[in-house]
Amino acid sequence: MKPPAGGRATLLHVRLRVLSRLLLAAFLGAEAPAALGPRYGGELRVGVPDLPSSLVPGPAPGLGPRLAAGLVHETLVGLTSDGALAPALAASWTAVAEGREWALSIGESARFHDGRPVTAEDAVRSLRTFLRGPGAAAAALARALDGGAAFRARQAEDLPGLAALDSRRLALRLDAPAASALATLASPAAAITGAGGVGAGPFVPDLLVPGQRLVATAFAAHARGRPYLDRVRVTGSFGPEELATEAHAGRVDLAAGEPGLEALAASLLLILDPRRPPFDRPETRAAVAAAIDRAALVARLVPGGTASTDLLPPSLLRGPEPPRPPLEAPPSRLVLPDGSVVLAVSRDLPPPVSQRVLAHLTALGLRVRVTAMDAAAALAAPAELRLLAFAPEVPEPGLALEELSALAPSPRAALERLEEARRETDAPRRRALLAEAHDALRREGSIVALGHAPVRFGGRGRVHGARIDAAGRLVLEDAWVEP
Amino acid sequence: MTRPGLRRRLVLAFLLVTLLPLFLLSAAVAVFLSRGLERATRDRLEAGLAAARARFAALADRARARVAAAVADDMPALGPGDDDPILHEIARRRDLAALELLDGAGIVIASHHWPAGFGLPDRDGLFPDGAPYRIESVASGYGADERLAVVAEARGRWRGRGVVLRGGSFVDEELLGGLAALMGLEVGLYDEIRGRWTLPAGSRLGTWTRPALGAARGEVRLGDARVRWAATALCRGLLLVVAAPEAALEQTLNEVRRLALTAAALALLGTLGGALFVSGRLARPIRELAEAARRVAEGDLTVSVPVRTDDELGALARAFNDMTAELRVSRSRQAQAERVAAWRELARRLAHELKKPLFPVQLSIETLRRSLDREPPPPPGEFEALFREASDTILQELRSLARVIESFGDLARLPRPHLAPTDLSRVAEQVLGLYQPGAPQVRVETEYAQGLTVSGDAELLARALGNLLANALEAMPDGGTLRVRTLTVPEGVAVEVEDTGPGLPADQMAQLFAPYHTTKPGGTGLGLAIAQGIAAEHGGRIEAASPPGGGARFRLVLPRPKPS
Repeated sequence: MKPPAGGRATLLHVRLRVLSRLLLAAFLGAEAPAALGPRYGGELRVGVPDLPSSLVPGPAPGLGPRLAAGLVHETLVGLTSDGALAPALAASWTAVAEGREWALSIGESARFHDGRPVTAEDAVRSLRTFLRGPGAAAAALARALDGGAAFRARQAEDLPGLAALDSRRLALRLDAPAASALATLASPAAAITGAGGVGAGPFVPDLLVPGQRLVATAFAAHARGRPYLDRVRVTGSFGPEELATEAHAGRVDLAAGEPGLEALAASLLLILDPRRPPFDRPETRAAVAAAIDRAALVARLVPGGTASTDLLPPSLLRGPEPPRPPLEAPPSRLVLPDGSVVLAVSRDLPPPVSQRVLAHLTALGLRVRVTAMDAAAALAAPAELRLLAFAPEVPEPGLALEELSALAPSPRAALERLEEARRETDAPRRRALLAEAHDALRREGSIVALGHAPVRFGGRGRVHGARIDAAGRLVLEDAWVEP
Repeated sequence: MTRPGLRRRLVLAFLLVTLLPLFLLSAAVAVFLSRGLERATRDRLEAGLAAARARFAALADRARARVAAAVADDMPALGPGDDDPILHEIARRRDLAALELLDGAGIVIASHHWPAGFGLPDRDGLFPDGAPYRIESVASGYGADERLAVVAEARGRWRGRGVVLRGGSFVDEELLGGLAALMGLEVGLYDEIRGRWTLPAGSRLGTWTRPALGAARGEVRLGDARVRWAATALCRGLLLVVAAPEAALEQTLNEVRRLALTAAALALLGTLGGALFVSGRLARPIRELAEAARRVAEGDLTVSVPVRTDDELGALARAFNDMTAELRVSRSRQAQAERVAAWRELARRLAHELKKPLFPVQLSIETLRRSLDREPPPPPGEFEALFREASDTILQELRSLARVIESFGDLARLPRPHLAPTDLSRVAEQVLGLYQPGAPQVRVETEYAQGLTVSGDAELLARALGNLLANALEAMPDGGTLRVRTLTVPEGVAVEVEDTGPGLPADQMAQLFAPYHTTKPGGTGLGLAIAQGIAAEHGGRIEAASPPGGGARFRLVLPRPKPS
């Protein structure tokens, strides 16, 4: 964590950090361009397929919206790569009453972009908005909080489960101990905003052209210290070929989908609507699931990916993968009703993946019309088929499975296991319940996993310190660029 | 129906004679030109079909040669590596936009244009008889497009097994657009099996949803335009269609039509001007003659027409002038004769009226003289009685004579009316009020219309109306019904007096308004004459009628006042 920039303390801190990085580089023999270590200043240009139309906190599916949310906003807590809670605006938290009550203390250095300190009242107001908003995390927290369900359903204005204890501390009171209650606060939708929606993230937005461009400058008073970069310029509305062209031409420093940084943070999911023909027949869904040659698809079209029938990315699958029952051999051709079906494709995906799935579906005898759209629209599209790179809103297995179960009508067994897992505090038992829920969802055949795909950002190599977190979000807080 | 005037008929005749040939000529030119343009368009379509057909044949030949060269030279030469990059390289070297490698079972090993199809059965859309045309899936965005390709295939070996290499080029917008631009025609391919077009961007053929291309050529309306087309089969199920919008043809024809219309309009204007001038000169003397004749008919015999020419019209004008001169002389003579006759009639009447009382006077005086000269003289008292009787008779006749003289004076003294706005209904009501009390035996019915204002002399009108009322009441000494009403008539307004008396004898109707004509004992016969005179002074008249069942009806008709 970096201290705020400015003044003697900041200068000393920077010097110490540069020195330590130099020593570390010399010890590890890091690559030559980065050997000078991080430096403040510079501008980073990022290209993404899409950008949000506003900066109001939300679930932010998609690479661009998730990046924008992480730049501008800050949540109370974060999650580490192994799923543990990490401080963010909240510096610490404690549990009492056997995990039914949680008190979170907001850090002294937490400030909004307008310089005002982040208070418990701000947090309560933001979380009340969050609880009534879309997203699986909001639904999960509302279910757990005392009075949360009624509040979310707008049946009550009182929310006894959420209160500010003083200007720096707020309390969450749960109906029962819940394993993932605090993790919901890591959702980008649970970001804390000040008056007028001002954020507390590492960058202050200077310009947002909805859906097209976001320019943000470093926030010197960020809770974890000033970012190295002076400015981030994010450009959206690129097609996949355009992104590659922009990256190769050096017009962007990091482009989505290009090799460089990558994390296996997304699942390739084909979602079949079981309420509409022809996917209302289980044998049709099974045939589709079995027809797609995952290994060939991933090997030839998803560099860095892995073929899998698991619904969640590997980072969320803890422990050894249980044995899966083999899928039935598909019929060479289905008997299908006349008419075509619509395949809604998220633009986060590489187009060849969509084309390959289309080829398989066509080979089965389906007549398919493909419509590409941004990730949020693809998630909610009323299409017979949806093809997504699913990166969960909150990279926590239980919440991710709940998010998945909301994407398509789920079997009762899966919902029951998820309900049990919510209340289970014993980690091994909870993991087993989640595995059962996962298998029940998978067997239903409405959500067909094709493999795991890396979230990738790459360019011409002058960027250091950037990373992709477990939610598939490009994190630029520690990024710096070579002069 | 009124026939148009002479001048108008002359103008119409001129126009007809001038314009008819012009229109016929224009129509003939348009027809010949249209046929010529149609023939030229048909020839152009046939030439376009032949050129496009040759181009597609050339594409098939080129695909065949390039695929054969790729199998013979490229496939053995390219070494190990992934299938896709190798196929992309062959496609680049041989300029084959469509290229795919298939195993012996028809499974796609690799595809340049549809990389996602590897490992799956080839599902191209085919045409019968091994035609070199196929509908290929082509990667496009996140999905695929189906595009028509001209392909050839060749067998070879790849990684130790028998394969088929199929390649060629797509019939894309660039190709069709180039052909269309070169030929100045629209070019398209219609897949009869799948019912779809392959067209360059913006081609209106795409709006032809159900083309009936059974014939070799025809025309069809697409959107706002008519299109002439010609078609030929490239293979079974795939038709090459060329089309020429009729816009150019129609534009030329429209220009010809516009030119013809302009010429016709100019001719029309010229002819109209000439016809007006000529017909004016021809019709003017005739019109003057007609006007003069009308005035003569109205009694104006002073009119004459100018004699402008020595032709037939001039002779006609001269004859007319001679005729009016003759009429003037004739009328003067007739007026003199009428005046003499009138004086004679007046003298006769006057003599009659004066002689009528003179006879009793003479007789009375002679009786007195005889009585005075009688021997022996009459007994006392007898002469006094006779004298009293005779003097009474003489006085009575002298009074009668005085009345006759007074009536003549009245007729002579009838004053000029002093015209002023006068309510006719009010006059009728007032006059009736004077006469009604003197005839209690008569039942009176009235019906007065409102607003019947005339320009008249109320006193004279009252006198005329009084005469009519007096006549009517006198005709019903034993009672009856008198109807008085005012009304609007086509000529103006009227007051009507109707009685239920014995009516008017038919033989008296003609003499009814003649002075001194009377059927009443003791009447002077001047009442109706005076009334008629008053009506005439007001520009009106009196009409009399006597229905067969009895009764008489007199209607005093007056004109409406002219608006100031």
